[in-house]
Amino acid sequence: MNGHPQHEEDFDLYALGALEGEGRKSLEAHVAGCAACAGRLAEARGRVSLLALAAKPIAPPAGVKSRLMKQVREENSPSRSRAETQSEERSGGLFGRWTLAWGAAAAVLVVATGLLWYQNGVLDGKIQKALEEAKAAQAKIQNAQEMIEILQAPDSMMVSLASLDVPRASGKVCYNARLGKLACSTHLPPPPSDKAYQLWLVPITGNPVSAGLIAPNMVSTDDMWIADVKAGTTAKVFAVTLEPAGGMPQPTGPKVLVGVMPQMVTFSNPTGAIRAYYTHATAWKVTWVLSRGGPVQSGESFNDMR
Amino acid sequence: MSSGTGTELRATDVSLIEKVVARDEAALSALYDRYSGMVFSVVMRIVRDSQAAEEILQDVFHQLWRNASRFDAERGSLPGFLMVSARNRAISRMRRKSVGLSDELNENTVVLPYNLESSIAQKQLLGKVTSAMESLPAPQKQAVELAYFEGLTHSEIAERTGEPLGTIKTRLRTAMETLKNTLNP
Repeated sequence: MNGHPQHEEDFDLYALGALEGEGRKSLEAHVAGCAACAGRLAEARGRVSLLALAAKPIAPPAGVKSRLMKQVREENSPSRSRAETQSEERSGGLFGRWTLAWGAAAAVLVVATGLLWYQNGVLDGKIQKALEEAKAAQAKIQNAQEMIEILQAPDSMMVSLASLDVPRASGKVCYNARLGKLACSTHLPPPPSDKAYQLWLVPITGNPVSAGLIAPNMVSTDDMWIADVKAGTTAKVFAVTLEPAGGMPQPTGPKVLVGVMPQMVTFSNPTGAIRAYYTHATAWKVTWVLSRGGPVQSGESFNDMR
Repeated sequence: MSSGTGTELRATDVSLIEKVVARDEAALSALYDRYSGMVFSVVMRIVRDSQAAEEILQDVFHQLWRNASRFDAERGSLPGFLMVSARNRAISRMRRKSVGLSDELNENTVVLPYNLESSIAQKQLLGKVTSAMESLPAPQKQAVELAYFEGLTHSEIAERTGEPLGTIKTRLRTAMETLKNTLNP
């Protein structure tokens, strides 16, 4: 794009994040060298930022401000005096003394200081960005390790979630009571704008326990997300309900997916055989005992489905 | 969206930012009281998780505290900057992807033709934005919401809705043109 963008709305679409590919690149390239269009983009950013007000107003919990002010107070501790801070931020504080004493030499120093200050700012920005990227990469690795641990643990149980009345809706939960962790994926229609899907673990005894809200980008995907629950909780049922955005402490909305936890099943048949079925994330196992008409015989069959 | 003390209520964003640059904690507290409701609401809408939203809210204002000297309050709008910054962080967290260097570098260049320093002005504009969104035809509103609150591009919206890409492009373009005409003061 050598000239100005042909459509005024391109700035709004860029600010919205919808523009992609060549359209996005050429607008970025043009704006970098055109002050007038940079101004139009700044206005578009302002317009688009107003869409934030379309979100339902929710007051933040008081604890956030307490934590923020504590964090700020700690950083603002007396060991870093105001004079020191200002000196670091604006090295120009030295200017007066040096001009009186050294004249032109001071000007050189101020320019050098300014350059150093600028370079320092750029480096700070780069270091901060690198640290954030490293933190994000570490979080991804940790997430992947947790997922492997849940899916491969022999005592993990896979539960299929089925819909009661939503067409083509489905899901699955891989639960490990020992670890107190579960992995979940669903295929559901997008929830209404003021609602969210919430996953529940219904224990053998007691009230349902929330396993978290299903993020909008995870509502319909094969990718699994991880949630923590209290370790040692024996699950009876997993369910997904439609709740107000932000979630509820106990389920209030309609159940859209339900799955019954597979349990150890033991039964006998006329031949005297007793079989126990035990399923987990990636395999099924059958153990058997024969005791009729002779010595007790036992064995097991294990089938790895990976 | 509670108000601060009497003195803080009368202070402009520009003067409060100057005080934040001078490490005045009360000024940050006043700005938090002024804008945390707007920031938290949009972040909650995007991440739909209270804990994550609280972390992002704290992070947005902590970044303001650390980098206030780099913010030009005379040139850009503080609430605009906070909303852009909050949205970028929330979408980045949800989609586990970077929002792009260009956005980060320029997010403080947000020109907003409204003064949102009073809670009354915020409520009035909230009503205006809500009715502007409601006046859009449902498919256009859905496309705007998927782009703004979920950070989806044209192609991703087309994939999500099962509509042709060209239809989505036209839909969003028309919606943004309508919103621009409605929301301009």
